[in-house]
Amino acid sequence: MIDFNKFSIIFKREYLTRVTSKAYILTTLLAPLLFLSFFLIPIAVTLLSPDTERVVAIVDETGVIAPRMIEINPEQFIVYPELSLEEIRDMVTTGALNGYIIIDQDVLEGNRTPELIYGGTGGMGFVSDVRSAIRTSIRDEKLDRAEVTEEIRGIMAERISLSTRVLTETGEEEQDTSALFIVGIVLGMIMYTSMFVYGGIVMRGVIEEKTSRIVEVIISSVRPFELLMGKVMGVGALAVTQFTFWILAIAGISAASTPLLLYFFGSRVSEAAGSGDTQAAMATIESELPFTIPDIGMGLVFGFILFFILGYLMYSALFAAVGSALESETENQQLTMVVSLPIIIPIFFLSPVSTDPDSTLAFVLSMIPLFSPIIMPVRMAIMNVPLWEVALAVVLMTATFIALIWLSARIYRVGILMYGKSASLRELSRWVRYS
Amino acid sequence: MIEVRDITKRYGSFTAVENVSFNVEKGRIFGVLGPNGAGKTTTIRMINYITVPDQGEVIINGNPAGPQSQKLIGYLPEERGLYKKMKVGEQLIYLARLKGMSDYDARKSLKYWLDRFNASDWTKKKLGELSKGQQQKIQFISTIAHDPEICIFDEPFSGLDPINSELLREVIIELNQKGKTILFATHRMEQVEQMCDDICLFNEGKILLTGPLSDIKRSLGKNTVKIEFTGDGSFIDNLENVRVNNRSSNFAEIRLLEGVTEQQILREAIKHVDLTHFEFVQPSLNEIFITTVNDASARKKLQETIA
Repeated sequence: MIDFNKFSIIFKREYLTRVTSKAYILTTLLAPLLFLSFFLIPIAVTLLSPDTERVVAIVDETGVIAPRMIEINPEQFIVYPELSLEEIRDMVTTGALNGYIIIDQDVLEGNRTPELIYGGTGGMGFVSDVRSAIRTSIRDEKLDRAEVTEEIRGIMAERISLSTRVLTETGEEEQDTSALFIVGIVLGMIMYTSMFVYGGIVMRGVIEEKTSRIVEVIISSVRPFELLMGKVMGVGALAVTQFTFWILAIAGISAASTPLLLYFFGSRVSEAAGSGDTQAAMATIESELPFTIPDIGMGLVFGFILFFILGYLMYSALFAAVGSALESETENQQLTMVVSLPIIIPIFFLSPVSTDPDSTLAFVLSMIPLFSPIIMPVRMAIMNVPLWEVALAVVLMTATFIALIWLSARIYRVGILMYGKSASLRELSRWVRYS
Repeated sequence: MIEVRDITKRYGSFTAVENVSFNVEKGRIFGVLGPNGAGKTTTIRMINYITVPDQGEVIINGNPAGPQSQKLIGYLPEERGLYKKMKVGEQLIYLARLKGMSDYDARKSLKYWLDRFNASDWTKKKLGELSKGQQQKIQFISTIAHDPEICIFDEPFSGLDPINSELLREVIIELNQKGKTILFATHRMEQVEQMCDDICLFNEGKILLTGPLSDIKRSLGKNTVKIEFTGDGSFIDNLENVRVNNRSSNFAEIRLLEGVTEQQILREAIKHVDLTHFEFVQPSLNEIFITTVNDASARKKLQETIA
């Protein structure tokens, strides 16, 4: 049915001309850097933002809290015993001082909430720093007054955190995956983008061959089906190459991120962990980050790749058929819309599916072959999708791919020889019936 | 070499080619003539196994057209083009390998043709960097690099500059002298007249005429008068039952219709001008083309009116 020798010549050309192109090399290399920056920027922001020290005056009527706070951060807290409250207020309004707090007996006894009066700049980090300092100072003062033993102080300082485990059918406990909600959404978006990107490459390839008129020369040597398959597989290999590189790069970055984070967080981590223990240091970092770094299982990676490949095959066949009917990329948006819709629709369901991946809606959507590549990896990221569901989706997608490639090949072999104008959807359906 | 047996090709309700049969013999130059949209390109695509006929069959070298026969054919389509962004050398090797050549043979053959066309320096360039004329040369090379037994050219001279036009003509003659079979489609009569051994004439998807060019001309007999003269040629306007082709101030080609003899034209001409040349000849291909096509459409019209 297919001449393997010719197929492989076409496959090699499709793959090699693209894999050696400057644009491809650039995007392949730059994407991990982009990923790295997404990863590092929030960390850097969290860590490096309290750069400028903001000074807060403590108007301490009790005389015991201010020294404790100054001890905690001598650069942030200051007392002006000789100045009146009026003068301190003036300093805040002129900007010489960032803010002030009045601490009296009521505050110490817990009858009144202390108030930070400040210039309005500084943000959440500043306010939370002041809050934490005042809380620690008052607590310690009270503990001292109550003459509490070291043992109880230790209990007070103890931080109990909750870690969770999920019970599965096989009886094993696994790491909790609630953070994988984000992973699911990200995977869905990646799948969505790559269906368009790689499908688009196939479509542009078909249009290029058609508008440059070389296609007639080529199909006087090979069957249109061989050309179509060579192109689809060649671009598919390109996608796999790119993803393999990215997965390796991300794995590498993740592995390198521990020392990297230690470098950035250096002082805080050693403060918190107190020793050179890397794991303890990592745990500290994670607790400080605005998000947790979830573990991505190998099963999910394989599932993602499998659904990516099947999804790519289905959509690239469709994009190729559409490309064969077009004279240029910008023409006939109606046709491109028809193949884009099944990629766009699942995006609207990403949120309901990821909040309840086990619902009937999620199940049904993940079984619709054209939606499976986007919906199923989202479910797989968040929950343990039963194997039979995954297998059924794969079987349905494979069957759909075979039907689509047959249909696309019939449209393609007519379309590539139709010059002059882009065809309508009705014409496409007519081409399918040509012998 | 090529036997086209009663082929029909339909696209929906439109019949592009209907019951077409002709034979192209080995070592001949065969011209496929016809107005635009007559079915020439569709027929050529079926010979190339780019599309397949709904009915009938195409036999190449004794076997039905298929992947094997594609290797025997070099095809220059009417709409030409190559990969703009691909290097010339890589591109030519790619196309030759798709025709079943080994990498080694392809390089050897391409070296010969690139030298023959003074194009060896271009192999490292991208096609888009070449001038239009240079791209045309690369396109011919891609057509013949795999040393095909059959060369099929669809409107080979259209869009060519005069230098490449002449070059292509030389190459076609050269290939023919090496024993290759040539088939070309065109609506430019003078080239067919100069080069073709055999022709077939298409109109509206059907063949009106086919056979050796000399036989066709002979069968139609002498019916055209060529005159050259000095003086006022306006008498030609008053001639009855004739059709005038190729007329200029001192030359005319006059096709005789019913009831007129060459002697009448001669007598008329002598009365009005000084004749420098008088010849009674077979019709030109152009004349045959126009007459046959017109007759066919007249007949069709007549049939439609009767029906």
